[in-house]
Amino acid sequence: MRTVRKISIALLLCAVLPLGCHKAPAPTAEVVAVKAAKLPQSPDDPAWEKVPLHLARLLPQDLVEPRLMKPSTPEVRVQAMSNGTEIAFRLSWADAQADDLPGTGRFMDGCAIQLPTKLMPEPPAPQMGQAGGTVEITFWRADWQASVNGRADTLQELYPNASVDHYPSEAASLAPGSADKKQMSDRYAPAQALGNRRVGPRESAVESLLAEGPGTLSPAPLNGAKGKGIRSRDGWSVVFTRPLPAGLAPGVRTQMAVAVWQGSQQESGARKMRSGWVPLLMER
Amino acid sequence: MARVFNWQLGREMSYWYPENRPKKQFAAVFDINKCIACQTCTLACKTTWTSGKGQEYMLWNNVESKPFGFYPLAWDVKLLEMLGAQQWSGKKYTGQTIFESAAAGERVMGWRPEEQDYSHPNCGEDDCTGQVDRGAGMSMPHMNWFFYLARICNHCTYPSCLASCPRGSIYKRPEDGIVLVDQGRCRGYQECVKACPYKKAFFNAMTGTSEKCIACYPKIEQMLQPQCFVNCIGKIRMAGFINRPEEARPDNPIDYLVHVKKVALPLFPQFGLEPNVYYIPPVHVAPPYLEQLFGPGVEAAIKTYRNAPNDPDLAGLLCLFGSSESITTRFRRQGDTVIGMDDRGKELVRVPMHEPVMTRPAWDYKFNIIRNNCP
Repeated sequence: MRTVRKISIALLLCAVLPLGCHKAPAPTAEVVAVKAAKLPQSPDDPAWEKVPLHLARLLPQDLVEPRLMKPSTPEVRVQAMSNGTEIAFRLSWADAQADDLPGTGRFMDGCAIQLPTKLMPEPPAPQMGQAGGTVEITFWRADWQASVNGRADTLQELYPNASVDHYPSEAASLAPGSADKKQMSDRYAPAQALGNRRVGPRESAVESLLAEGPGTLSPAPLNGAKGKGIRSRDGWSVVFTRPLPAGLAPGVRTQMAVAVWQGSQQESGARKMRSGWVPLLMER
Repeated sequence: MARVFNWQLGREMSYWYPENRPKKQFAAVFDINKCIACQTCTLACKTTWTSGKGQEYMLWNNVESKPFGFYPLAWDVKLLEMLGAQQWSGKKYTGQTIFESAAAGERVMGWRPEEQDYSHPNCGEDDCTGQVDRGAGMSMPHMNWFFYLARICNHCTYPSCLASCPRGSIYKRPEDGIVLVDQGRCRGYQECVKACPYKKAFFNAMTGTSEKCIACYPKIEQMLQPQCFVNCIGKIRMAGFINRPEEARPDNPIDYLVHVKKVALPLFPQFGLEPNVYYIPPVHVAPPYLEQLFGPGVEAAIKTYRNAPNDPDLAGLLCLFGSSESITTRFRRQGDTVIGMDDRGKELVRVPMHEPVMTRPAWDYKFNIIRNNCP
């Protein structure tokens, strides 16, 4: 009797499993940007469920010092859609711990997509491009997302019990919004005075960057790039939307690369998990 | 890595970039024997530079008690433990620097303090090395000791913060050797925080960038001493510029103390950064401990310092400490007076080596009354 029950369960599983698998499309060998009239702006938009999925395998950044010596995120699920003028990517990966509070020794979760600036038969080096082979990078960070979602840009958000007697920039003699107040604030925050985009509060959870080799990252105008990340049960899901690079038309194939940082693993800058070039095909 | 010469180690060593010394190198001498840990320097710096948001915990200048005081916690002993026992052979360092000990994938051997390591900057303050309440087995002038170690960025000749930054956001100014973080370029990776053995690079969570002591460069550009120097009530500090040993000028105060008299020594030279703040070691402290901090020149330095009453040039120069806001790049002694000058020989300050002593008779004959000191 017991044997018969085991066989029945096995037969039932054989019947059900293929049906279940049928719903999730098999991962594609390349990223296929499917055509869409409207690009979803949020990672949890149901439109993403029908989009082919590419599993981008990640490697530790081990080409230039400082390297990431201990692998963390093994893979990223990459999907893409395009409306003919813009392209949207959804990146999803597993990360057991959300890291979105900056501080000494604290690092942020983040991800980035990279495309060659120009379509060329031989793409530039996948590791941040090379001299004469500029790459365009769109970078998302979890703390910027928290700021955009409404978290105040105050010390108390980072350290709830913090108490500060006085900041010179908040002296009663300085009128709110005055040039004097701004000058005093800049005096103790030179990064802010210089317009460094590390300084909050932020209006966007992403930034656009250019690079032509490791260590050459430089800020670029956003130019319509957008992004939104949401925390899933076991990780992050992030949508990037950016203008299509010049020449990237239906049927054209180019390359893209992705990178992921896990703050809990003290990943930052060059210490990251990254892919090589992955083919990106624009659906006809 | 390139091969560079580190005169403090008496040998070549490996460094991330080739040797490229500045035209002038900012340097300083701190006389530890005179420090009373009043923290006026700390406050002078705090008020001037780190009163902004995200800088609350930062002390670009701090004064800690040694051996049990640290800011951040265990900054020196942690790295010493990582580096392991190393050796000097006479004046030559035969051990490994933090550049030569870097693990695969790293540019520098370092470690990253946690937030709470900065939480108690006065931890260990005034803690003595031990107790002798049950009697001691031997007799020494100072059975137990502690001393105050005032610290700023060393504006090293071979900065590990600069070597560690993957973006090249940290630079050493060719005009004065001051090491700065480019606040427009920094992306807050915190590699410098990990790499600086002195833990004098700090991450600002509100600006998202790393910040550090700037040696008050706007003052240096005017040939004025930094805030922590001019506010030092113990007059323990002197700022100036140091030359390489083979180019030392005896009339340059820093050269004279470091190269000629060898009375001022670098802090943890064995790390390999060729730091440019030099310390006159405390005379009452056990030499083995001081040798770990300041290298093999400690006993000779203390002997020279103790002999200062018989060495008028040295004694005179020590009198120049804290006597002027201007940087005195030249000095000379004229009898019982020491004169500080600029590069062109223009006199900036004149200090008597002995203060005039006035003796007031206890009895005031004019008013026929005894004098006392009450107002």
